[in-house]
Amino acid sequence: MAILETKHVTKNFGGLTALQDVSFALEKGEVMGLIGPNGAGKTTLINILSGAFHPSEGKVIYQGEDISRLKANLVNERGIARTFQVVRIFKRLTVLENVLTAMVDRGKDGPWRLVWGSFFRRACAFNQDRDACATADGLLASVGLLDYRDERAENLPYAMSKRLEIARALATRPKVLLLDEPSSGLNPAEQNEQIKIIRQINEQGISILIIEHVMKVIMDISHRLIVLHYGEKIAEGEPEAVYNDPLVVEAYLGGEGNA
Amino acid sequence: MAAKQKIWAGLGLVACLALPLIITDRYIQHLLVMSLIFVIFSSSWNLITGYSGQLNMGHAAFFGIGAYASALLALKLGVSPWIGMFLGGLLAAAAGFLLGIPALRLSGPYLAITTIGFAEILRLVAMNWVDLTRGSLGLYGIPPLPGFWGIRFTSELTFYYVALAAAAWALFCFRRITRSEFGLSLQAMREDEIGAESIGIGTNRYKLTVFTISAFFGGFAGALLAHYQRLISPDMLSLGETFQALTMTMIGGLGTLTGPVIGAVLLTFLSEGLRFVEDAVKMDVRLIIYGGLLIVTILFMRGGIMGLWERWRGRSAGDGEEA
Repeated sequence: MAILETKHVTKNFGGLTALQDVSFALEKGEVMGLIGPNGAGKTTLINILSGAFHPSEGKVIYQGEDISRLKANLVNERGIARTFQVVRIFKRLTVLENVLTAMVDRGKDGPWRLVWGSFFRRACAFNQDRDACATADGLLASVGLLDYRDERAENLPYAMSKRLEIARALATRPKVLLLDEPSSGLNPAEQNEQIKIIRQINEQGISILIIEHVMKVIMDISHRLIVLHYGEKIAEGEPEAVYNDPLVVEAYLGGEGNA
Repeated sequence: MAAKQKIWAGLGLVACLALPLIITDRYIQHLLVMSLIFVIFSSSWNLITGYSGQLNMGHAAFFGIGAYASALLALKLGVSPWIGMFLGGLLAAAAGFLLGIPALRLSGPYLAITTIGFAEILRLVAMNWVDLTRGSLGLYGIPPLPGFWGIRFTSELTFYYVALAAAAWALFCFRRITRSEFGLSLQAMREDEIGAESIGIGTNRYKLTVFTISAFFGGFAGALLAHYQRLISPDMLSLGETFQALTMTMIGGLGTLTGPVIGAVLLTFLSEGLRFVEDAVKMDVRLIIYGGLLIVTILFMRGGIMGLWERWRGRSAGDGEEA
């Protein structure tokens, strides 16, 4: 059963068409790889799925609900979390605080309830809530960041900050996780670690859409692949089949003559 | 650790209570009162700019709205200043909400210009609506806070305790707010707005909320000043007042609770000290020195005095924290 799907999504930026009539479905519990040459529209697709952009045409359907027009925070509230190609962690907060922020139950009535609540509760600071901290510690442990718990996020090495972003996304208790190049800039050992982490997340039943340039990573963990080229979907299916698809080879290598 | 903190807090409170009894010089007592009022004012600015990253350069607007509202309510309608102070704060909060709306679309220098414009418009209104505000002459004869139990709040000494209670209450609120999930979300928003939205923070509502809360305390501080000085002028709405809060907070430590407190006390006394220098050189050197201090702070001690303190503590603890 599809948990998240797009129906004929087109996205124009002025005269530039970044996505052209893209339809695909992410099945519940699967890991789907999203690949394509630079500028193919992969990140645009994730931005649309996560509510950062709204499609010019077409729809995004999540569990039967049309979420095409929802803002990013509401999309996240529904159960879709994401990471960014260039990390967007909260640099001057600690690692623990990064995760705690994402765990806050924001409810329907918004920030005033949180302000009000801050005056009427026993734990007088967010980091004194034992249960929340225990949950956050668990998440940090699952991505191997527990030792860095009280470090400021800006002091983390790059690989660690990418993992922190994953932990932060998981802290919002998502059903779907959108990963935008989780292993870019990592060395091979770190990439292997990243694959392990992503697999563990998937084993908890979270469906994953992952953009990745590192072929080893993507072939290793994806159940299925889709390929974008100049904003259009040119292939979809089993990783092996897609990898050998002549259209895909041509998109990457620029045709037989130039290979 | 917590017990040690409590002892220090207790000692600090006793010191604050005893201070005007030890220092009986009325001029120094006056400076202490001014410090406390500016503790509230700069801390409230710190909430918007230091914690939420919204560059608000029109904070004087709230200061002035609170002051004029409370003063006019007392003068024209006979509202008790005790109630007027809170009404002034609430009116400032409403203005804060309004100013928060453009802040949803603007950031950085654009927001700064918009907020300066807002305060400047209000200053011009106060200058020119002579029937109501007496223009640049300002309002005088503002009633003092009504006394009770035989205590009158017209002397520096008694008003000091009112200001101390007000500052303690405001700081308690700021502490609760900044250490709550709401405060944490504000800081997340300051660090990365898109990142914050991706984890479910509806930044628009958070911005409006923080503008409203911060404006309330800004207005409250202004009303306090109005009933202390009993004389206010449109200068309260000028960019200079906002800069006062900015300089105090930056020098003390932006985005920390203690920073604006230290900055407010330090600069209130410093600016009075400079008055003697000004008399000597016959020049308005105060703003030049403020500017110099700001530049030094930005170049050499980004976190202000609190930043230096943290760094020093980190080094002496020897846990190898980066400098």
